[in-house]
Amino acid sequence: MSRAKLQRLGINLPLFPTTSVGSFPKPDFLMKARGEFAKKLISRAELEKAERQATEFWICKQEELGVDVLVDGEMYRGDMVAYFADNLEGFEIGGLVRSYGNRYYHKPIITGEVRWKGPITVDWWKYAQSLTRKPVKGMLTGPYTVMDWSFIESYPDRRAATLPLAREIRKEVEALIQAGAKIIQIDEPAVSVRPEELPVAIEAMHVVTDGLPAYFITHICYGAFEHIYPDMLNLPVDNFDLEMSNSGLDMLALFQKQRYTKDISFGVVDVHTHLVEAEPVVEQRLRQALETLPKEAIWVDPDCGLKTRTVDEAIAKMQALVRAAQALRTVTSDQ
Amino acid sequence: MELLLANHSSYPRIGDDADQQLLRRTITQRDKGEKNDADVRAAEAHLTELALAEQSAAGLQVVTDGLIRWYDPISHLTGKLAGVRINGLLRFFDTNCYFRQPVVHAKPQRGEPLLVEEFTFAKAHSSRPVKVVLTGPYTLARHSVEEKGGAGGFAKVLEAFTAALAEEVAALAAAGADLIQVEEPSLLKQPEDYPAVEQNLAALAARKGSAQLALAVYFGDPAPLYDKLQTLPVDLLVLDFTYSPSLVETVATRGTAKTLGLGLVDGRNTRLEDASGVARQLEKIAKARNPGRAYLNPSCGLEYLPRDRAQLKLHHLAAIQRVFLGRAA
Ligand SMILES: [Zn+2]
Repeated sequence: MSRAKLQRLGINLPLFPTTSVGSFPKPDFLMKARGEFAKKLISRAELEKAERQATEFWICKQEELGVDVLVDGEMYRGDMVAYFADNLEGFEIGGLVRSYGNRYYHKPIITGEVRWKGPITVDWWKYAQSLTRKPVKGMLTGPYTVMDWSFIESYPDRRAATLPLAREIRKEVEALIQAGAKIIQIDEPAVSVRPEELPVAIEAMHVVTDGLPAYFITHICYGAFEHIYPDMLNLPVDNFDLEMSNSGLDMLALFQKQRYTKDISFGVVDVHTHLVEAEPVVEQRLRQALETLPKEAIWVDPDCGLKTRTVDEAIAKMQALVRAAQALRTVTSDQ
Repeated sequence: MELLLANHSSYPRIGDDADQQLLRRTITQRDKGEKNDADVRAAEAHLTELALAEQSAAGLQVVTDGLIRWYDPISHLTGKLAGVRINGLLRFFDTNCYFRQPVVHAKPQRGEPLLVEEFTFAKAHSSRPVKVVLTGPYTLARHSVEEKGGAGGFAKVLEAFTAALAEEVAALAAAGADLIQVEEPSLLKQPEDYPAVEQNLAALAARKGSAQLALAVYFGDPAPLYDKLQTLPVDLLVLDFTYSPSLVETVATRGTAKTLGLGLVDGRNTRLEDASGVARQLEKIAKARNPGRAYLNPSCGLEYLPRDRAQLKLHHLAAIQRVFLGRAA
């Protein structure tokens, strides 16, 4: 497993390291500030102050809960693709399109040559890392997902748009590493949706990560893993962060048929329900994981970003998973 | 080949200006208790009229009501059936649009008309012929789940949806619908279920009266199924060409026994196709055996595009038609 790689990077983690997928809910004061900023009632600097305060809140919370690998909570992001589209050259932000029901969003349009203008997330990462001694993950959206969630005008096809995005996102990865990040997560939630394009996503991930000294995680969601497993293991990362609970741990059956060969951030709490899982439920899910996967390979986290939950629900869900991991740690190391 | 212009199905229900955002605003206000359901219906009617006007201004010969009132392609129809409850959000194919999943807890039954009122409104407010759009029973069933003891398995759910939609087809025809489009994108994902789709369409066709029935398939390559599609009991085939490197060639060599809806213009991307390139594809198809009349339309519904871009796409259909006619002359 990749424990050796983490050690080489100077990172020592306990058994069943706990982490989260990336986003946390924005506290009320930040939601208010965002609303006021949209109405031009407060300045960019004032909004940023609220974003920093909210980042600090979540770093402290994660420390308090005993989480092992922290995230900044993405307090400064609206949407995981538009945020990068806004900060790369070559994008326009298009008019509103429907997400569902009465919800709409601005979908980016790739209209020029995509280009990295300079660090995007590095200052946020540095700020978050300055608040804690525990490792903070660098968090990026992967090239395949940025392509899939954008309209493409300036490239002839989807692969032709994905590869330059990969080349430019690599520059952000290099900048994060330069700043000291050792664990970097490249989210590719869109990867499971068009199985026939998995080779494009793999090719792009090589461009992003090859030869770089960091431990790489990728988050994939929306189920349908049966169509991309085991081929998805060819994505050049160390750890797959997967939605396991939402699908009743169905993935484990796939792993039994075809051996799973990487580390896994095993989603043990469902992010789509208000109900907070009881600690024994979470522990039971982990025990099931242990029947199929080696203990050194398992990280523990929620199924997906917690941003759609309330602050209290998010904290309670994180607490349940941290306690379950700690309990299991004690039992397992006794054996 | 006589080439007419048609919309595919959906059209954006929002845009950049305040009038185009009336529906979103009204729903938000209704949810806060500041407006009521009648206000929402009035806003839907207004947005429907805008959609109809924009389609006819673009020069389309066949328009739709834009599916402005639809929450999504699945729950809008199934939600009105007895025996079905609407549940949480799921992704609709590989789009970034989500639908609410139907849960079948008892045999689905149609107690009230599903789309007749919407069609009647559109017909009354359109200067052009209105095509009615209906998600097909197979696609509805594929996007539903069944509770234990609900209807007795997938085949039974499919049978019940088919019966409900057949009644709807009869009611629409009686209300004056000339053209009814049944959408079965799921068929391209599971082509092995073709016999079931054939059976369902026969049940719908039996009730169509003097209306014409169209089958629309999209979000995949219909070329491998092309010969089979040609034998279906429908009058029109509306095909998505954007996933298929070979469909133009297939149509050109096989010819067609049906009127074709040619989805040569990508309804999911903002980029405008090279008009002379599409005109050349049309020429190839025009030389095929028996092309008769054909429609040029987007490859799928336009609600995946921002409104300004959807409008440009419709105007682009007319630009392509002009190039095609110019070359033919
Ligand atoms: Zn996710």
